[in-house]
Amino acid sequence: MSEMREVADLFDNILIDKKIDKYTYVLVESEKQELNAQNGEFKLMRTVFDYYTSLTVFKDNKMGSASGNDLSKDALVKLAEDGLTASESSPEDPCHDIAPDQGKEVFRQGPYEPDMDKFIERIQECLDSIKKEYPKVNVMAAVGSYDKSHWISRNTNGTEFEDFSGHYNFFFEISAREDDKTSGFGWAGVTVDDLDTPFIDRGNLRQSLEDISNSIHTKSIDGKFEGTVILTPGAASNFLGMLISHYMSDGVIIDGTSLWLDKVGEKVASDKLTVSKKPFDDRIVGGERGTQDGFRAEDVTLIENGVLKTHSLSLYAANKTGRPVVKNTGWSLVVEPGDKPLSEIIKSVDKGLIMGGFSGGEPGTNGDFSGVAKNSFFVENGEIKYALSETMVNGNLGEIVKNIRDISKELVCNGNSVVPYIAVDGVVISGK
Amino acid sequence: MLTDIYEVNKALFEDGVQTVLRAQENRYRTVSILKGNLVNNSRRESRGVSALVGKEGLYGFASIAECSDEAAKKVLKSASENAKLMARHAGNKGIVLPPSYGTGLVPTNGDIVDAEQKKIIDACRKMDDYIAQKYPNLESRSIYYSEDSQDRIIYSSDAYDGHLVTPRTCMYVGMSLKTKDGTPVECYKGLGGFGNFEDNFADVEQYYPELEKLYKKVKDKSEGVYAEAGYKTVVLGGDMGGMLAHEAVGHTVEADLVMGGSVAGPNLGKKVASELVTLVDFAHTYNGERAPLPVYLDDEGIKAEDAVLIKDGILTGYMNNRETAEKFGMKPTGNARGWAFCDEPLIRMRNTCILPGKNTVEELIESVDDGYYLINSGNGQADLTGEFMFSVVCGYEIKNGKIGRALLDTTVSGIAFDMLKTVDMVSNEVEWTGCGWCGKKQQMAVGMGGPHMRCKIMIGGR
Repeated sequence: MSEMREVADLFDNILIDKKIDKYTYVLVESEKQELNAQNGEFKLMRTVFDYYTSLTVFKDNKMGSASGNDLSKDALVKLAEDGLTASESSPEDPCHDIAPDQGKEVFRQGPYEPDMDKFIERIQECLDSIKKEYPKVNVMAAVGSYDKSHWISRNTNGTEFEDFSGHYNFFFEISAREDDKTSGFGWAGVTVDDLDTPFIDRGNLRQSLEDISNSIHTKSIDGKFEGTVILTPGAASNFLGMLISHYMSDGVIIDGTSLWLDKVGEKVASDKLTVSKKPFDDRIVGGERGTQDGFRAEDVTLIENGVLKTHSLSLYAANKTGRPVVKNTGWSLVVEPGDKPLSEIIKSVDKGLIMGGFSGGEPGTNGDFSGVAKNSFFVENGEIKYALSETMVNGNLGEIVKNIRDISKELVCNGNSVVPYIAVDGVVISGK
Repeated sequence: MLTDIYEVNKALFEDGVQTVLRAQENRYRTVSILKGNLVNNSRRESRGVSALVGKEGLYGFASIAECSDEAAKKVLKSASENAKLMARHAGNKGIVLPPSYGTGLVPTNGDIVDAEQKKIIDACRKMDDYIAQKYPNLESRSIYYSEDSQDRIIYSSDAYDGHLVTPRTCMYVGMSLKTKDGTPVECYKGLGGFGNFEDNFADVEQYYPELEKLYKKVKDKSEGVYAEAGYKTVVLGGDMGGMLAHEAVGHTVEADLVMGGSVAGPNLGKKVASELVTLVDFAHTYNGERAPLPVYLDDEGIKAEDAVLIKDGILTGYMNNRETAEKFGMKPTGNARGWAFCDEPLIRMRNTCILPGKNTVEELIESVDDGYYLINSGNGQADLTGEFMFSVVCGYEIKNGKIGRALLDTTVSGIAFDMLKTVDMVSNEVEWTGCGWCGKKQQMAVGMGGPHMRCKIMIGGR
């Protein structure tokens, strides 16, 4: 991997020879070592050695991109030609651009050499713990991978970022069985940069095992009512992702269909809600360091105490709409906790759900959502009553963030996000 | 196309283990135009070689981003070492596979022809310009062109060899209008499918009638109403029928999910649907013609055949890889597929379809007094229990046998084997799409299709 810098120098020379005077590229060398288990037993070991090359060329206000997975000189020459051809084919649009000079910086995150023996031990330990502590649970699939990468990104404004990172991922897909009755799917996963703690005690793995064990016997609710939904951290991440996509991202701001188009600086949500993307948060593993536009990544707060602070725009969308760019093109979602424990929030609910997953259609830009409550439990008079099936939820993304009744003090950190339980009112819940 | 230089490496296959060596290139071309602005313009290739080595039910897989004789030797060695690593750590060994399901050579089925990026952009801009001019009141419009073609060479130790190409080019058109109260609504249409750019988009004017239909749908939707939530009689359109075949039933009869406890396990040989329902995962040919995304050979070297999953309402089989086929006493039919060179083969669907019946679409609609006609789905998901969900992005009321007002976005759900028993009318034609995607650890291009069906289903609403 030490040859990457030489490859970058070679590529610069190729681009200069082709008389390409404005470009940005990234060269990546990556390695994956992945252990797969099926039905609780080791099944397959997979290794992947890969490259990724991506070039964007800007010529006469025209933009084109090409990418591949070959670092050979011939492949880099072809990449340069493809990028140039793509840009020449494009219509003129001066809004396509790259970030101004960010200087030169080297980033290092996580273990760059894995401890595979310890990693395999931790996976085996987790599978053994599940068999012992959660006898109804079948681990349909478990995937543990160590992923490392070394990348170099350069552009003609002078920026050079180099990154060395490695981390461990562990994910499982589970079901539970009692006699002939089987639950639906459950799943959980974490990204970590150390192996100090058993996997079962990280993220929400243990909670997911508890929940699936209690989801074998399910009922649909009777009738239809408007109630409270307590979104688990996983479901809350999903809903906030849809909110960012449909109210704050490039597409809906460029075409003007966002319902929050002119709401920056205004209150759009409950004052309990503060949503950020924080790649530099200590609880985030492998956070973004250089953005896709060539900026050094920054933590950004999108909603603070219910007030929309900014849309989440790329440099192109910012140039196109005359709005500020956000120097953050990753995820690293961090939601500030509330001050009530989850147990107290549950006790305050007259009628509603704890919703672990949402299986629904992608909401339109009007924010309406409609789907099935998965991995969910019925709550009545402050008590969890039973696991649910065939129960639908309907509502509107923009409305539910205004109707937040509580946010839990408990947070789930899975390496990619830090999110509490969020209880929202005004969701229509209907049974069969 | 990839050059076939790997046969010599068969001499390196280890005795007594099952080995598949695969060289593969995936080719991607993307152009995206949003309201007249070119926001994405890219070309990508991903190329490499992989080896899958299996012994006594434990597997090693290795891949390198290089197509060469040397890379083939490296992945064979590395995959073998990975299989041995598994043997050291695995408590239980898996199933010993039978020696062979047949050997031979599956001939190359075509070629992938590249198109200049300028041609692609010009075609997309022609579509966009036409839409802008013809439908000036649209709130927004989008064109997303995507090519995702595969070129694979497969060598196996005890099964078939072959060189397979699957060119696929699709164009997704989106139109958006605002409702009276100012909220935007959208409708989308996927065009193209199997084939190179020149096959599908040399003449984009052929799609103008489809754009007219799409505009009518979004215009109707802008005056649409919320569906009434509840358990309703509906007519599912062919697009929805395909989604039902894939999501609601198809996933539950993938043998790896059966082993995980899916509802299909205890129901093999039992009635799971109305006798009007026959469901087949077609390999490469439907009704004497090429299926939307033909698969002739899978990534374990199994020659592809149709998998009949439900026949006249009875659950008759699963989709398998070699190992699960042996476990369930079935014949593998070529469902083990990996998406990219670095992906191990998983059990995947190919062209999953409910077969047509005898009624006309008009007869189905006329038969409903109070219900819904659900035409297009955006996405769908299903669970082990067969509980499924599809989004409905285009639908209409049916009142007294007539099409009524359009619906705003909603969702339908149910338990597959319960819902399929309510199917009491099936139309006499099938609508296919070759633009589908399926996610299951890896992404995979899939075809799906179905007839119109009258049934009862849970629909969400306000």
